[in-house]
Amino acid sequence: MNSALVELQRVTKIYRLGEVEVPALRGVDLRVEPGHFLALMGPSGSGKSTLLHILGLLDRPTSGQVLWNGHDVSKLNGKKLAELRGRHIGFVFQMFNLIPNLTALENVELPLVFLGVPARKRRKRAEEVLARLGLSERMHHRPTQLSGGQQQRVALARALVTDPALIIADEPTGNLDSATGREILGLFSGLNREGRTVVLATHDPEAAEVAKVRLRLRDGLIVEVF
Amino acid sequence: MLRDLFRLSLRNIRHRGLRSWLTVIGILIGTAAVVALISIGQGLQRSVARQVERIMGYNTILVTSGGLNLGQRIRLDIETIRAIPGVRSAIAVRTETAYVEGPNGKGFLAVLGYDPAMEEFVAEMNLRVAAGRPLSERGEVLLGSRAAQALGAQVGNDVVIEGRRFTVVGILEAQRAGGFATGGLTITDLLVIPLTELRELFPGPELVQYAVIRLEEQASVAEVRERIRDHLRTVGERNASLTDFEDLTRNIQSVIRGVQAFLAGIAGIALLVGGVGVMNTMYTAVLERTREIGILKAVGAKDIHVLLLFLFESGLMGLAGGALGMLMGFGLAWVATAVVSRMFQTQGSFSPVLSLALVFGALFFSFMVGAVAGIFPAYRAARLPPVEALRYE
Repeated sequence: MNSALVELQRVTKIYRLGEVEVPALRGVDLRVEPGHFLALMGPSGSGKSTLLHILGLLDRPTSGQVLWNGHDVSKLNGKKLAELRGRHIGFVFQMFNLIPNLTALENVELPLVFLGVPARKRRKRAEEVLARLGLSERMHHRPTQLSGGQQQRVALARALVTDPALIIADEPTGNLDSATGREILGLFSGLNREGRTVVLATHDPEAAEVAKVRLRLRDGLIVEVF
Repeated sequence: MLRDLFRLSLRNIRHRGLRSWLTVIGILIGTAAVVALISIGQGLQRSVARQVERIMGYNTILVTSGGLNLGQRIRLDIETIRAIPGVRSAIAVRTETAYVEGPNGKGFLAVLGYDPAMEEFVAEMNLRVAAGRPLSERGEVLLGSRAAQALGAQVGNDVVIEGRRFTVVGILEAQRAGGFATGGLTITDLLVIPLTELRELFPGPELVQYAVIRLEEQASVAEVRERIRDHLRTVGERNASLTDFEDLTRNIQSVIRGVQAFLAGIAGIALLVGGVGVMNTMYTAVLERTREIGILKAVGAKDIHVLLLFLFESGLMGLAGGALGMLMGFGLAWVATAVVSRMFQTQGSFSPVLSLALVFGALFFSFMVGAVAGIFPAYRAARLPPVEALRYE
C-alpha cells in the first residue's frame, strides 16, 4: 500500500486574488507509483499546473496531505522541500526555462551545483547526459543560439542530470512544432521504458497518447481516468 | 558552491553591461571623494609632523604664557633652567617697549634682548640679517627693516634707546612668513640689542615673552617638564604653560583630523547615494529575473543560495566601484596637491598618503555599501515562492 512515490490525499488549493478566493484544486486523491507514466489533461484553468506543482513539491496544498515515499511533506519548510526537489525531482517546462546567461552545459550542471557536487564530477555527468540526448556539439552554446527542440532537450538533460525519481513536465511540447514535439515525447517514453516515473501535463490528446495512464481534470477535480 | 554562486553573480553583472557600469560609477564617485580627502589629509598630517619636528626637534619644550593675552609675560630665570639636568640649551625671549630716537624719526618701539645662546635658535627666531652683520659686542643694535624705515636709519647710523647710544650694524628681515618665535611681534618691527644691555636699561624682575628649552637626547621630557614646573612654582609663576613637540603635534593633528572627518563625512554622503543606486539596480534585477529565481528554486536552489547570489552581485559592484574609486581618488589627490603646491609655491612640501589602512578600508567599506544596499532586494528575491516566480512574465 505504501509503494507510492507521491501520494495526494484530499488535496485542495485555493488562490487568493485580493478578496476573491479561486479554488484551483478541490479535493484530489492521486497515487503516483514508481514506473508510472501519467498524463494530466484538461482545459486551461482545470488545475493541471497546480497539481503538477504540488506533485513536484514546488507548492504546498491549502489542505490535504502530500506523501513523498510515505512521508507527509505538506508541512515541510522551504529548505527541506528545496532539498527533496533538487535531489529527486526533475522539471521540464513549456517555456524551456533555461538561464539565458549560462551555456547549455552550465544550465545542465546547475542542479548539481545546488547539491554541492564537485565541479569536475558535475561537468562529467552533465556532458554524459547531454551526449545521450545528442547535444554534444551544442554544449557550449547559449540557449538563444539553440532551436526550440534543442532547448527543450537541454531542459530535459537538466531534469535528468540528478538521476531523479520523478520527472515532471508541464506542456513540454506546447512551444514546439509537431515534429519536434513528437521527438521530445519519444524521449519521455524512452525514459519511462528505462523505468523512470513521468508525470506530464498537456492539453494535446496526441501528446497524452504516449502516457500509460491519462487523467482528465475539470474545475479542480479528476473526472476521468483512461 | 559559493564559488559557483560567485561566478554566476559575476556573469550576471557583466550581462547587464552599461547598467552595471552606471551603478558602479555611483560607488566610484563616492569612494574617490572619500579617498582623495583622506589621503590628502593624511599627507597633510605627515607633513605637519615633519615640519614641527624640523622646527622644534623632538626634545624641545616651549614655555609660554598660559593666558589668552599674548602680551602677558612670564617670570622665570633662564640660568636656573639651563642648570636643570637634561637641558642642553635654553633661551628666554624678552622684549621691552622703549623710546627710540633715530636720525630721521622717533617713537616707542619693541626692543628684544639678544643672548649668544640664541645662535642655536635662529631658525625658531625666524631671523635673517639682510644687510650688515650680526651683533658681536655691546653698543651694537640690529634693526628690523620696518623699524629702520620708521627711524630713517641705515647700517652705520646711531640710534638712541632710552638715552643710551647704539650703532646700527645690520638690518633684519623675516626669514619666511609667520614663525612663532617673536612673542606676538613681527621681527621687522623690532630692534635687537644685547640682552645684558636690555637688562641694564630695564632693571627689575626679569619678565619674558616665552622660553625655548632644548633637551639632551636621552633626557626624559616628563622629568624635565616637572623640574621646569618646580622652578616656575618657586618663582611664583602660575600662568605659564609648557608645550612640547608631542603636545603641539597632537593639537595640530587633532584639528586636521577634525576637518578631515568633516569633509570625508560629506564625501561619504556621495557614497551613500551610490549605495541607493546599487539598491535600485538590484531591485530592478530581482524583478527582471523573477522567473529565473523560480527556475533556480525548481532545480533545487534554497532561499540562502538565491540570497547569496544577489548579495554577491551587489557586493561585487560595490567592490568594483571601490577599487576604481580608490585609484581615481588617489590620482585626484595627487593632481590636487600638485596644483595647490604650485599655486602657493610650496613645492614638494607634501603629497597625499595612501596608507594600507585606507586601501583596505576603502575596499571593505565600498563592498559593505554594496552588500548592505543589496540586502533588501536579495531578501525579497530569496523569499519569492517558486511557483509565483515561475509564473512571472
